[in-house]
Amino acid sequence: MAPESRPRRGAEGAAREAVGRRRRGHALRAAAACAAAALSVLSFGVVRAEAQQLTSDAVAQIIAQAVGEATARHQPATIAVVDRVGNVLGVFRMNGAPLDVTITSGRGVVGGLENAVVPDTAAAIAKAITGAYLSSNGNAFTTRTANYIVQEHFAPGTKDQPSGPLFGVQFSQLPCSDLSSRFPTSGMIGPQRSPLGLSADPGGIPLYSGGVLVGGIGVTSRGVYSDDLTVFVTESDPDELIALAGTVGFDAPAGIRANKITINGLLLPYTDVDTTALAANPGAAPSFAAINGTAGALVSVNGYYTAGLVPLNGTVYGTPASGIAPDSSGLFGNAQAYVLVDASNVNRFAPRPGTDGALALTAAEVQQILAQALAVGLQARSQIRQPLNSAAQVSSFVVDTNGGILGAVRAPDAPVFGIDVALQKARTAAFFSGAYAGNDLAAAGMGGYVGAARSFVGQAMLTGAYAFTDRANGNLSRPYYPDGIDGTPNGPFSNPINQWSIFTDGLQLDLVAANIVQHVGFIFGTNPDTVVACTGVARLPNGIQIFPGSVPIYRGSVLVGGIGTSGDGVDQDDLVSFLGLNNAGGVLNTGIGNAPVGIRADNLSPMGVALRYVNCPVDPFLGQQNQNACSGK
Amino acid sequence: MRPWSMLLAVGLALSLSHPARAAGYQIEPSLAEDLDIAQDGRRLPGQPPPVEETPAPETGPPAVAPPTRDYPREFIPVPDRWRLIEEIGVNEHWWNPYSQNTFKGDRPLFGNDWFFSTSFVNDTVFEPRTVPTPVGVQSTKNSREIDTYGRIGQAFINENLLSSFSFTKGDTAFKPPEFEFRVTPVFNVNYLSVDEVGIVNADPRKGDTRQKTFVGLQEAFIDYHLRDVSERYDFDSLRVGIQPFSTDFRGFLFQDDQLGARLFGNRDNNLWQYNLAMFQRLEKDTDSGLNDVTQARRKDWVLVTNLYRQDLPWPGLTQQITVVYNRNRERGERFYDDNDFLVRPAPIGDERGHNYDVTYAGWNMNGHIGRFNLMSSAYYANGYDSHNTFSGKPADIRAEFAAIEPSVDFDWLRVRLSGLYASGDRNPYGRTETGFDAIMENPQFAGADTSYWIRQAIPFIGGGGVVLSGRNAILPSLRTSEDQGQSNFINPGLLLFGVGSDADILPELKLSTNANYLRFQNTSVLEVLRQQGEIQDRIGFDLSAALTYRPFFTQNVVLRLSGGILIPQQGFKDLYVSQDKQRYLYSVLADIVLTY
Repeated sequence: MAPESRPRRGAEGAAREAVGRRRRGHALRAAAACAAAALSVLSFGVVRAEAQQLTSDAVAQIIAQAVGEATARHQPATIAVVDRVGNVLGVFRMNGAPLDVTITSGRGVVGGLENAVVPDTAAAIAKAITGAYLSSNGNAFTTRTANYIVQEHFAPGTKDQPSGPLFGVQFSQLPCSDLSSRFPTSGMIGPQRSPLGLSADPGGIPLYSGGVLVGGIGVTSRGVYSDDLTVFVTESDPDELIALAGTVGFDAPAGIRANKITINGLLLPYTDVDTTALAANPGAAPSFAAINGTAGALVSVNGYYTAGLVPLNGTVYGTPASGIAPDSSGLFGNAQAYVLVDASNVNRFAPRPGTDGALALTAAEVQQILAQALAVGLQARSQIRQPLNSAAQVSSFVVDTNGGILGAVRAPDAPVFGIDVALQKARTAAFFSGAYAGNDLAAAGMGGYVGAARSFVGQAMLTGAYAFTDRANGNLSRPYYPDGIDGTPNGPFSNPINQWSIFTDGLQLDLVAANIVQHVGFIFGTNPDTVVACTGVARLPNGIQIFPGSVPIYRGSVLVGGIGTSGDGVDQDDLVSFLGLNNAGGVLNTGIGNAPVGIRADNLSPMGVALRYVNCPVDPFLGQQNQNACSGK
Repeated sequence: MRPWSMLLAVGLALSLSHPARAAGYQIEPSLAEDLDIAQDGRRLPGQPPPVEETPAPETGPPAVAPPTRDYPREFIPVPDRWRLIEEIGVNEHWWNPYSQNTFKGDRPLFGNDWFFSTSFVNDTVFEPRTVPTPVGVQSTKNSREIDTYGRIGQAFINENLLSSFSFTKGDTAFKPPEFEFRVTPVFNVNYLSVDEVGIVNADPRKGDTRQKTFVGLQEAFIDYHLRDVSERYDFDSLRVGIQPFSTDFRGFLFQDDQLGARLFGNRDNNLWQYNLAMFQRLEKDTDSGLNDVTQARRKDWVLVTNLYRQDLPWPGLTQQITVVYNRNRERGERFYDDNDFLVRPAPIGDERGHNYDVTYAGWNMNGHIGRFNLMSSAYYANGYDSHNTFSGKPADIRAEFAAIEPSVDFDWLRVRLSGLYASGDRNPYGRTETGFDAIMENPQFAGADTSYWIRQAIPFIGGGGVVLSGRNAILPSLRTSEDQGQSNFINPGLLLFGVGSDADILPELKLSTNANYLRFQNTSVLEVLRQQGEIQDRIGFDLSAALTYRPFFTQNVVLRLSGGILIPQQGFKDLYVSQDKQRYLYSVLADIVLTY
């Protein structure tokens, strides 16, 4: 990596680093991988990767390596490979692989998705998409990483600690999402949906080519789709071993893997095993041609993949074919603005006015809010990237109170999962701050949650009286209240802990469970696909999200929409949404801004414990000494 | 008048055998002549030869015979020597530790040599302070707290009533006692008030104050005097039970009241001293820091061997060498403190447990060279950590520590310099951990508890549930707690330079001042834990002053008021808030110690 790729490090730092690398083998390899990536440098320390493609040949090799390991382990598996934006490039089912996979958290909980039987292909694709979507050129996360950050405690298994920072992220990229295009009608425009949302079951790992993220591999072989509740015990998971064999030659640079990234001092897990634990040498695996049709075969998956003779080529991330491309309009005044595009390279979500009345957001306001959010993000210090002091890279959406998408923007290398999640978050903030929330939920059959929320927080709940961020709503969506304190009752939007798991978490899942179940039937071939709209609540067509990163947008004291951000640490997501909106309000001077402080949800104290509104991170900005960036705003 | 003459006889006997002579105290020449020259007739260098003493002629009847010389071997002790001084008006008052007092071991409780001694110390500390404080994750004390850093004001009140009861069997001050049984329970009340929730307890519902009471057992031992090995009562002794111990002069490595067995003694007129000790550490009560004997003992053992030599190479300078072995087997634990915070393993890195074996080789020095005082301490730590929490693999431990404090006295004023080096870890993911950490430090150095840096535990906000440096600790060792956490050899290390003074303004009034400059040795681990690059190494200036007032010129009533501030520099600012209204952090200690 060229020294100038770290603009804030002096020559001395770079030299010191170079010396350090000579001493350390694995770091040297990382450096070489980075150098090979030939990264070009933009301002604010954001690196834009040179385009890389996951080719059909590469996918074939990856599958062959995985099959070699599975064969050596006598563990027939189903293997899926996707590109960075979720296009399924190949699904290979080995002879004897379990066709039916049972969802279980191992907590002995029933309800929700627990004990549901899903196709092996769905499980494999969900894992592959998770590996690809949670990662970037600055961080490599696996499904094991995901497991670590979605449980009721962080770290999982500890007592009295708050929940994982991405609590609830498993119910994103849903098959009913209105955001994702659908195979095969929209070609390979990303981001694609995931059959089961994101996965916390080990066996999903990102794929890199020349240090650049190109996709992910997902493996299922055990007949169960689960999570890991004993994170302090190193386990030897066959799904993970088989997937790991597939990644050899396409593995993430060691320096950006989850186990080099901390959140609040805790290192995230990448995999529990390394390649020394493999039973077969991936380099000596039989070729794809030698196994295809004998050890197993490529199989079609309804809604995702049509099997051919060989796997497909992936899209090149950052080109219009991938659905994510640089913004050519200059609308955001920032050369690093990326947008979602269609096959003709037309921005799918160019700023447009709101649909909710006289006070609705104007297109210019939407544009300004997104521009300011992007600017805040690119000045912010990332929580999950290597090298240290990289800028945060996130996706942001602005919606109106009807849930309509008014605009979207993202940084070049923001992880793809954040696209759908940012939209979920924006809608969640706008929805739960609105006067319609209670009625809409009741109409969708969620009246029980409305009653619980009102008796827990007060009758003003879900009536539009208070401004709800995703952080505040998240406080009420945990199996403990206060979050993570053992022995306390559940928040009103959550299941109680003895009926809780990541597969049945309360309102969030209940809103979309029918959609997922129907979609599973569709993959099995027993019924049509779910509609392009989750939840039955028109304002929430891709579900809700319950981890932080959004704020409602007000004009004066009137709710006009929401902004949601996702892709970096959750505190950074809060910072970008909150401060981006605040700064835009200052520029616009049209009354647009954050909620008046008097109606923010942190004025509410159910059980004497105040809700949080947002939480801006420690030392938020690169090159600035302003630790408390949000106070007073 | 017989008792009077006996008293005189005792006094003279004392002067004859008094060690002060050996120590070179000047003796009046006439007396010297009288004692030495005339007594045995030897010639002394530089003195004229002794002359034959001619008895004075008898000048008249009835001549009085000159008094006969009293020799020690001719004394016969009176049966009840304990009541001797009642004859001169010194009477017993149980409430007065300065009069004859059976409860202070002045007279035997029973028999001739069974003494009972009590002491009571009441120590009240009032400690207003500012400490960087995070807001609660789940909830905040006040609405509109939307950043991570919260309000920093705190107040701590700690009340210790220390009561010590000791039985000894022994004779006099000269001869070490044959047995000693001692127990020291400490009654504690502590109160902490902070300005955020989630600090006094992991549960934000517990609010922002905490009051606890606790009874700790700080001493409970039997001391058995094995034998005397010389006429000057050099001895070997064995002490078993909870006992105070320090591995060096200033508490840099291990200073604690811990459960153990210790063989100790001296040789060659106390020129040599030795200790051979093994401790198994007791769990500490979280809030009082006192020993909690109701909990299971920690799986942590300390083996100490050391040797002291006085007057090497010059009189007044004591050298010590020591080897200390710390064996920790707490890998399998997930131990939460009384406030529901995980303390073992530390919630950093992969949060998995670890064992470690560390051997410390140390060389310590204390004393004076002429009028220059000198204290120094050096340790080399070498060991093995079963699990580096960052790499997930075993690692070696190699770390160094050195401290030095030269000082010089000008009449009522002592001027001190302080220097301290503790190596920092260079690569948290590496195979060798190179950050120095102690076992249980309690440094009497560079201002000690008046110093902000040493006194206050500064939470490592945003970097995990550890503190940057612990309470009453100088090393930035990133432990969960000085009292209950494991040692951590992946830490940034420290460099300290300081100047200070101790001024005896009045016999009853002392002013101490300290100014220290602090910096980290290596901030790599801070960067990893905070996921933040380019954290600078300059911590800042630590300034403090302490006024100690002893109104009765004794230790029975001691009032102390001290204040310390930390003026942050860039490294500290990189980690903590640096708003204008918080240009410095302060720590005030108002301390009243009443002793019986």
